[in-house]
Amino acid sequence: MRRTAAGWFWLLAAVIAAAPAASGARAAALHKPGRIVSLDLCTDQLLVELVHRDRIAAVTHLAADPAVSAIPEKARGIAITHGAAEDVLRYDSDLVLAGPFGVSATVNLLRRLGRNVVVVPLASDLAGIRDSVRAVAAAVGEGPKGEAMVAAFDRRLSRLAAPAESPLTAVIYQIGGSVSGPGSLADAALAAAGFRNMSAAYRLSRGGQVPLESLIAQPPDLLVLSSQADEYRTVLADNLRHPALAILRQRRPSLELPWRHWLCGTPHIADAIERLAQARAGLEARAR
Amino acid sequence: MKAPSARPDVKPVRLFAALGLAAAAAFALSLAVGPAGLGIAAQGEARALIFTEIRLPRALLGALVGGALGLSGAALQGYLRNPLAEPSLVGVSGGAALGAVMAIHLGLSQVLALALPIGGLAGAAVAMLVVVALAGAHGGPVTLILAGLAVSSIATALISLALNLAQNPFASVEMVFWMMGALADRSLTQVWLAAPLIVAGIALLLTVGRALDALTLGEDAARSLGINIQRTRLAVVAGTALSVGAATAVTGIIGFVGLIVPHVLRPFAHHRPGLLLPASLLGGAVMLLIADVGLRLLQPWMELRIGVLTALIGAPFFVWLVLRTRSELAP
Repeated sequence: MRRTAAGWFWLLAAVIAAAPAASGARAAALHKPGRIVSLDLCTDQLLVELVHRDRIAAVTHLAADPAVSAIPEKARGIAITHGAAEDVLRYDSDLVLAGPFGVSATVNLLRRLGRNVVVVPLASDLAGIRDSVRAVAAAVGEGPKGEAMVAAFDRRLSRLAAPAESPLTAVIYQIGGSVSGPGSLADAALAAAGFRNMSAAYRLSRGGQVPLESLIAQPPDLLVLSSQADEYRTVLADNLRHPALAILRQRRPSLELPWRHWLCGTPHIADAIERLAQARAGLEARAR
Repeated sequence: MKAPSARPDVKPVRLFAALGLAAAAAFALSLAVGPAGLGIAAQGEARALIFTEIRLPRALLGALVGGALGLSGAALQGYLRNPLAEPSLVGVSGGAALGAVMAIHLGLSQVLALALPIGGLAGAAVAMLVVVALAGAHGGPVTLILAGLAVSSIATALISLALNLAQNPFASVEMVFWMMGALADRSLTQVWLAAPLIVAGIALLLTVGRALDALTLGEDAARSLGINIQRTRLAVVAGTALSVGAATAVTGIIGFVGLIVPHVLRPFAHHRPGLLLPASLLGGAVMLLIADVGLRLLQPWMELRIGVLTALIGAPFFVWLVLRTRSELAP
């Protein structure tokens, strides 16, 4: 069975609603693995940036999807695995990187077959990103490179202006009406840019969706949209094509912040935070 | 003077007046209820926006889609002379959903917006023709239900296949939309897209009343009364495909409305299809609008799907109908 769309959806849901699962990263092998397979969009991205592509056996098809991956062009051309144990075995890998969601059966099977599998925890805040980077770097034997990546990330964050006294409100409104809730990575990005996530002001469904009507009745200072309506051909994007949303965007400030910037806990989330901080500065200047 | 049987003796004028009033009230109620509060709690611009862009399309679609489903149920039951006929049970809704999914996932609806309802219409027409061919115009209730089940299953399987092949990460959630239906967060754009086809289908179905009245006497008697059976069949198939196809393309499959409404109204319409058709049109609108209002009162934050509610009401009714049909067929 290939990685199912359902599995991918749950990863999305987890990132959005952020129920962080604490599964510890297995520490590193001493030698440097040279046939690495990654089974998760988020480990794909860290892997591609930490090791030379000669050492990568396969990544998921999402790594080259510009809608969700921060590094689609770097991942292009690398072999693709659909994530089934049989498919992974085909690559005769010496290291398998997996995320905590959707692939536990595959991970268990691969471990029973004696494969070296490292489950990288999903970051739900900025500190978690450092942990993820270090976990992947340790697993692939690139500790110093990982530290350099963390240091560069911290330098970018430190350049941001200090958050304002009274934070402005923002909501990240997505396909199907989903909003990013408290405790999610997106929530952490909003906070780092000086916004208060207004998702708590709405009555959300268990899947984290808000009716468009509620959003219009109680709009945030900044409406953040995560994807273009036509990025995927799906009826679920109808909420993004809704004329009422277009009118709301004419009347109030909004920002397009594609998923590729913040869906995964990689240092690229600094892009998202910088764009949000820029938007905040613009809003504050206009208010003055 | 009392009617000979226990059937309620309601004058058609009164029946239509009552149904019309109920539909108007349900429509008004639908405009008044929503997650932003009873009436509209928001003020100023937001108020107008919510009213015209969110609640109005929802109420319009509730009325149009409910009416289309109720009417086509009555027409199918009359034409097939089969109490279990209904758009979702005979696979027409499934075919429509498949057609709409293909229109979206092949990217046709991005090129031409009208491709969406036309896809639904085409899918509904094909499903309808296959079911009629499989079950035959003279097939009993069981044959029809089996044929409908076969067509529905194929449609569901193909929808699932299309969604998964499209490699979009939302396949499983989108499946729920098509299978359970939704009136939430629909827009006026979708109303304008579907409404002309739905209305055309409704108009076509309303023309077959006299033919269906005659058909209650049997096909030969109907022919001797000057009814063109071929033309009637064409009108029923085309009308159902137009109205249910376009409706399903924008709201997903909403089941059982077309089953319950004609059955509830039949005694009031003196068991005459000619009266039952317009009555079911109004009754379907009332039922779907009320169900949608109930949904929003129960759970304004859009977790429960409209199709879930209609199935919860409709499925037990269906079981009762099956039991009754069985006892009638038994020696």
